[in-house]
Amino acid sequence: MGRQRQDDTAAGARHAAVSSDQLLAFMQYLRGQKIAVSPADTLDAVAVAELLGYDNRSLLRDGLASTLAKSQHELTVFETAFDQYFQPTLRRPGGSSAANDDDANAMTPPDPDSAVPASAPEQRNEDPLDGLRGNSLFDALENRDDSALSVAIETAAADAKVDDISLFTQRGQYVRKILDALGDEALRDAAIEFEQSEPAAFEAVQALREQLRERVRDRVERAYLIHAKADTEDLLDESLSKIKLGNVDHSQMARLKRLMDRMARKLAARHGRRRRRYRRGKLNVGETVRRAIPTDGVPFAPRWRKSERKRPQIMAICDVSGSVAAYAKFLLMFLYALQDVLPRTRTFAFSAALGEVSDLFADLPVAEAIERVNLKYGGATDYGRALHEFSESALAEVNNATTIIILGDARNNQADPRLDLLAEMKARAKQLIWLNPESIRLWGTGDSEMLRVKRHCHLARECNNLKQLERIIDKLLSDKR
Amino acid sequence: MSTNHYPSLNQIEAIQSAFEEAGYICTTRIATVIRLAAALEKPVLIEGPPGVGKTELAKTCATVVDRPLVRLQCYEGLDESKALYEWKYGKQLLYTQLLKEQLGDVLDGAKGLDESMARLHEFGDVFYSEAFLESRPLLKAMEADQGGVLLIDEIDKADFEFESLLLEVLSDYQVSIPELGTIRARSKPLVFLTSNDTRDLSDALKRRCLHLHIPFPSIELEAKIVASRVPDLAQSMTKKLVQFVHAVRSLDLKKAPAISETVDWAKSLLLLHAKDLDSALVQDTLNVLLKYEDDIQTAQGQLSKLMVAAAES
Repeated sequence: MGRQRQDDTAAGARHAAVSSDQLLAFMQYLRGQKIAVSPADTLDAVAVAELLGYDNRSLLRDGLASTLAKSQHELTVFETAFDQYFQPTLRRPGGSSAANDDDANAMTPPDPDSAVPASAPEQRNEDPLDGLRGNSLFDALENRDDSALSVAIETAAADAKVDDISLFTQRGQYVRKILDALGDEALRDAAIEFEQSEPAAFEAVQALREQLRERVRDRVERAYLIHAKADTEDLLDESLSKIKLGNVDHSQMARLKRLMDRMARKLAARHGRRRRRYRRGKLNVGETVRRAIPTDGVPFAPRWRKSERKRPQIMAICDVSGSVAAYAKFLLMFLYALQDVLPRTRTFAFSAALGEVSDLFADLPVAEAIERVNLKYGGATDYGRALHEFSESALAEVNNATTIIILGDARNNQADPRLDLLAEMKARAKQLIWLNPESIRLWGTGDSEMLRVKRHCHLARECNNLKQLERIIDKLLSDKR
Repeated sequence: MSTNHYPSLNQIEAIQSAFEEAGYICTTRIATVIRLAAALEKPVLIEGPPGVGKTELAKTCATVVDRPLVRLQCYEGLDESKALYEWKYGKQLLYTQLLKEQLGDVLDGAKGLDESMARLHEFGDVFYSEAFLESRPLLKAMEADQGGVLLIDEIDKADFEFESLLLEVLSDYQVSIPELGTIRARSKPLVFLTSNDTRDLSDALKRRCLHLHIPFPSIELEAKIVASRVPDLAQSMTKKLVQFVHAVRSLDLKKAPAISETVDWAKSLLLLHAKDLDSALVQDTLNVLLKYEDDIQTAQGQLSKLMVAAAES
């Protein structure tokens, strides 16, 4: 198959074939680097490459960047990826490609002829390697025909399904598979044959085989990097979103933050728009008639109803005592990541005393604000006092557009949780949600007041990982139209 | 590949020299993207900090291809009646009033409501025809005979919904008007969108565009740009000035000076007949380069360092 391709394609076309195969593989590689490349993008990229040609590397890079990299961040990723993937060394023989390919081409036609005398090699006994000439793999290796080799390796790699690689330890196995698919066996047999009789030829064949092995190994490792690595990343994200937030260790914070931002963006996109559409395009009859008075009642300028932007207001009351602080941190981070959709969020923190911390969050980066909050309001938990202080300072502003979210474990050290205040909050607010990081099985055990508290909430949920948090906020936003 | 309406944009080198002639120095990357835009008939989404010449690029492009430039400035609340088309409501009303008498002739002899209605129907939608259609920028660009350049400026300032409105225009070069049907571009315009990256654009919009990010230029490129814009300024002076600006950009500023500010500064120095860039002169004219008092003070604090950077050869 490789042979046929080599025989009947012209030098230029062969070169292009290499590149467009490589181009498709490159898209795959980009996807592995978390750049979303849609099939339409692929088509565009191929069109661009056809237009610009494959000869000028930087031109091709600029052109492809314009269709594939959709933000500045993606552009940097793209440029490194491009340099990694289309290594300049690969183009070295391609640099003088015309001459080189012509050479290769010039060599091909005599090959069948030389293959005939090869049936009786001893006759001339000039070069034992003649027996191998005509084997497309051997020719490509001997002539250093990079293009043909790349095509052959890509084809073999596809046959061996190397892109399914998932473990580092599978490399050897895939290298073997690809080599077999390439037809390395013929070379190996020849090498075994030469080992005794023709040491020079044996050396030559072995050297070429080593080169081939090297290239195949590179290809397999690249496949591992592209596919398995991306899978591993996804797996990490997935498991991180299910892990208890209290157990997330410091080294994972950056990843978690990224994940959270992504979720927040998704939620914002889903809910931000719908609200603005609300009531758009309805005729404001009264206003139109009034405007029509100067024109004798002819309504020259119709007036429309203004779209009503009723945004939900969220008041979050967070327990920042030791056991729950970590969860409070994530809830607050999430709420502030959603600032586009929920611009009027107010936050309160308590442990012993309660205080409003919205300003802290407006002025400081989230992580730092949380440190300050912990410092200021940390201490033994007292829900009764906290609710009382909330009632004093903010209850007057709670109205039927307000959602109150309370985050805490409802463990009140046997003190009175002031359920009456909770009931009052429930009555005034649109929604009262209690999020408890404790597992639902632990509710009501020991000093937990959760079962009693639950009765005074519209919604009480266990919430200790990112998935649950996302689901609750999603629900909250969709209820509030 | 397809019929090309803009033959002057077929060669990357030719694009570069044509733009240079029109007073716009463009990198190979910019030229490449313009070449692709013309050949693939795709819009170009230009991103980059303010003042690097995003809008200028579109304007220059219109000059180079010698076609009209249609510009749509985006802002919050921009909608289809201002961007696409609007019915001339007043004219429609006026005409109905004026034609009231004609109505009698038309309906003369018609018996009953059904017959009258049938007669009226024979006239079709006279009042919803192109005569009553007020074209706004997007439709105007579609209607241009020889094609043209459509500049949709600061798309990130428009609402999210507006982007969806653009999709049909950008991918198929057509506008659907319910009363009239679909109006196709007579000749596909070159479309440029600019964005200052104040918010993320939708993926659907991004997908339809070629992307061009214009960063702050390198020292050499900026010197070239200043030289082409302010040719009377001495070469040594230009170089110093550009190096100074580059040093300023590395400071922690509210707003880094852009190319347009560099050019303005060069012009002011020329106006002042400055022979050399000395600290007193810089002190006095820094406000041309920097637009915030805080920034000016930061730069003044570091002036000696900046002057050293400027004097480097």
